[in-house]
Amino acid sequence: MAQIEFRNVCKFFGETRVIENLNLTIKDGTFTVLLGPSGCGKTTLLRMIAGIGPATSGHIYLDGKDITHTPPGKRGVAMVFQNYAIYPTMTVRGNIEFGLKNNKVPKAERDRLIKEVSEVVGLTAFLDRKPSTLSGGQRQRVALARAMVKNPKVFLMDEPLSNLDAKLRAAMRVELIELHRKLKTTFVYVTHDQVEAMAMADTIILMNDGEIQQEGAPEDIYRDPNNIFTAQFIGTPPMNIFTLSERAGVQIGFRPEKVDLSYEEGSGFFRRKGRISTREMLGSETLYKIDFPDGVSVMVKSLEETFSEDDEVYVSVDSEDLCFFDRSGQRIREGVDKLLALAGGSN
Amino acid sequence: MNQQPETKRRFLTKEKILPYIMVAPAMSFLLVFTFYPMVNLVYLSFFDYNLINPNKKFVGWRNYYDLFFLRKDFVVALKNTAVYTGAVVFFVILLALLLALWIRKDSKLHHFVQSCAFTPHLVAMLSCAMIWSWIMDSNSYGLFNTVLSFFNISPLRWLNSSTTAMLSVVIVSVWKSIGYYCLIIVSALKAIPAEIYEAAELDNTPRYRMFFRIILPLLSPQLFFLLVTITINSFRVFDTVRIMTEGGPGNATDVISFYIYRYAFRHFRIGYASAAGTILMVILMILTAVYFKVLSKRVHYQ
Amino acid sequence: MHSESNWNPRLRQLAARLPGIIGKLIVAFIFVFPFYWMVITSFKPYIETIQFPPTLWPQNFTLDAYRSILGKMNLMGYVKNSIIVSVSEILLQLVVMIPAAYAFARYNFVGKGIMFGMVLVALMIPVQVTFITVYLLMAKWKLLGTLLPQIIPFGTNAFGIFLLRQSFLQIPEEVIESAKLDNASELQIMTQIMLPMVKPTVITISMFSFIGRWNAYFWPLVMTDVERIRPLTIAIEKLKDVEYGINWNILMAGNVLLVAPILVVFFFASRKIMEAFAYRGVK
Repeated sequence: MAQIEFRNVCKFFGETRVIENLNLTIKDGTFTVLLGPSGCGKTTLLRMIAGIGPATSGHIYLDGKDITHTPPGKRGVAMVFQNYAIYPTMTVRGNIEFGLKNNKVPKAERDRLIKEVSEVVGLTAFLDRKPSTLSGGQRQRVALARAMVKNPKVFLMDEPLSNLDAKLRAAMRVELIELHRKLKTTFVYVTHDQVEAMAMADTIILMNDGEIQQEGAPEDIYRDPNNIFTAQFIGTPPMNIFTLSERAGVQIGFRPEKVDLSYEEGSGFFRRKGRISTREMLGSETLYKIDFPDGVSVMVKSLEETFSEDDEVYVSVDSEDLCFFDRSGQRIREGVDKLLALAGGSN
Repeated sequence: MNQQPETKRRFLTKEKILPYIMVAPAMSFLLVFTFYPMVNLVYLSFFDYNLINPNKKFVGWRNYYDLFFLRKDFVVALKNTAVYTGAVVFFVILLALLLALWIRKDSKLHHFVQSCAFTPHLVAMLSCAMIWSWIMDSNSYGLFNTVLSFFNISPLRWLNSSTTAMLSVVIVSVWKSIGYYCLIIVSALKAIPAEIYEAAELDNTPRYRMFFRIILPLLSPQLFFLLVTITINSFRVFDTVRIMTEGGPGNATDVISFYIYRYAFRHFRIGYASAAGTILMVILMILTAVYFKVLSKRVHYQ
Repeated sequence: MHSESNWNPRLRQLAARLPGIIGKLIVAFIFVFPFYWMVITSFKPYIETIQFPPTLWPQNFTLDAYRSILGKMNLMGYVKNSIIVSVSEILLQLVVMIPAAYAFARYNFVGKGIMFGMVLVALMIPVQVTFITVYLLMAKWKLLGTLLPQIIPFGTNAFGIFLLRQSFLQIPEEVIESAKLDNASELQIMTQIMLPMVKPTVITISMFSFIGRWNAYFWPLVMTDVERIRPLTIAIEKLKDVEYGINWNILMAGNVLLVAPILVVFFFASRKIMEAFAYRGVK
């Protein structure tokens, strides 16, 4: 069971608190994505699992064992770095072989493993080349091969696709998902790209400012955010959120694609009239910005392209697509009926 | 309006001349004070030229014959220079590398040690030589001998004994140079991305392998540069020898640069000294050429 | 049992690092101690300097050595020469070097490669090769009684040209292009834009030059045979002469004068200075 556990983990860089009292369990065999903006602590956590950026206090467990003070090379984890970190002075074969040699794997076995792994990643023709002669995508495969050949309990990846061009990135995404399906090993993947996270993850761990904002499957995080940060980090364009009642401190939110636009008043629970201020034609759908008379603006994603700027339209959202948040940004799940009453009706 | 002939314009425009004007002073100084002296040195080496009697007498290869066959002291000077260079190159690179590996992580203590090590480099060789003359003084109050006395060993005649004189000169040069070269190596070590060290840690790399398979190959351009620089600089050693030993005792620390100086300004035999100088120049050129040809193949560039 | 668990792991870590810390301090000591010795010896009376065992702090603190140097031996005259030579050298080199480096960086002209190659070759040639001819030249031009032989031959600072050219090359082309769009002349571009951008390099090179001339011994030894043009280095070396015997305190006082200015500047700007020297190695 290659389950990873963080218990009461803290990380300080000098005086600066980056992570404080974090508790987290990453289940064995999952493709878990650590997602968040720059500086949120996701890479810090990843490096703690690897052992190359130890926690200031707290414990980390792998497979039930406390690895908090175990040296990186003895943890049974492998890592693919953002800039690949392949050894520039060794050939591809040398790069893949290096860890095996250090672990005293006999030569015949090493050769067999290298042959297998290089076939899987498609590097067999490049084994005797030096990294400086390889393209970005090829170097990334070397980094991947080096990690795979160790047959680790956990694969760690630090934004491995961010330095590739868009087309290659999309292709590699698919390959990584297939690799995970084949190997069934725990993958811990760090990224700031929420599209990437949504596409690849079994579980997303969304972080901000050293704290976990929400943890769950992509669909759950998307449909049922725990707080405003999550609601607005996931989804493009982000969820529309605005104040419903200043006095009660309640904010209301709904996703752009859950809105019904019409020239007549709709039938949804939340109904309001507004004017279209901008229109962006995206091809398969159209993005409208609607201004309400009280100053609030919302983004609406619609399959209808027929609306024009300056049109007066009616916005309508069903009750199950509405989310309510309190003053501190937390999701309100209790007493929703009363809030619906507040929101319902038209004005 | 009258038009100037096209062809005349094209060759002598202000823009075309400008670069030449800008490099002219630098090139003139180079020609007069570097290249002409090099040529003149070879020229003078074929003459018997005594400063006191300004009439030169052409003697062909005789100066060279004297250098190598008639007098024995030039060969001794060559040998001493080789020994000195070999020792300094070896110890400076070894110690600078070890020190650099030891203090490469950023910290107040390490910056302090680096600054202290660097201090001798900024100080005049003359002063270093004088201070070390005291440290190595043959009287019992010299520091080295004072230390020996704590172990009940009788004082050594450091600079006055032909067996230890060269060692003493080497020690001073090594002491003065380590700080600077250590600084260069530390910069090179810092240029290696941290991720490479981290990847190697994850590969369970033992310390010695980390050094030989990863750090050393990445350091080889700088080490190559160091090798060339230290070697060429070693041929210039003069101040230490002049201050501490005057080439002695006997010939023990006579090196090429001191030899040339002696014959030019003590014996006033310009022609003969020029021949020795020409040999020095030839050696330096050969060394530079050899280094760049042979070693550039072995160096790894990223 | 209790005392074991009271041992703060941080304290234990510190104890493990202690031998390393001590070792590093010993290394630092080795490099600095000779200068400490130089300073305290200069404040000792002569008898104390030949005392055995030697004292680590002047027992009889005195300014005798300095009085001798500044009074009887008029070392200030030599200091003046050193200053004039060093400062003139910097000025001469800047005037020669800046246009040349600029031309090598910004223009293409026939012979540029060869000329720059010559600059690089000059880097390798030591003074021991050139001094004989330069001495003869200076004698022929009747300049031997002046300070000029210590200044002029180093007019071209090959290393300075190399560094400065590199700095000019690193200025992004776009900066120059927008200056052209702002209708700036070539001279304006050079003086108002490019020169200020390479100021750190110019300062670095000037510093190297100053230190080089201030510490020079061999060259002035060859080029000066009259007292009035001798720099401080020669004067100090002459202190060793039999006339005074080896008076360690006087000798060290002289060296303190030579060494102090540089060490004082280094004390205040050590980081910047070391950065400047380190850049040298990154080819």
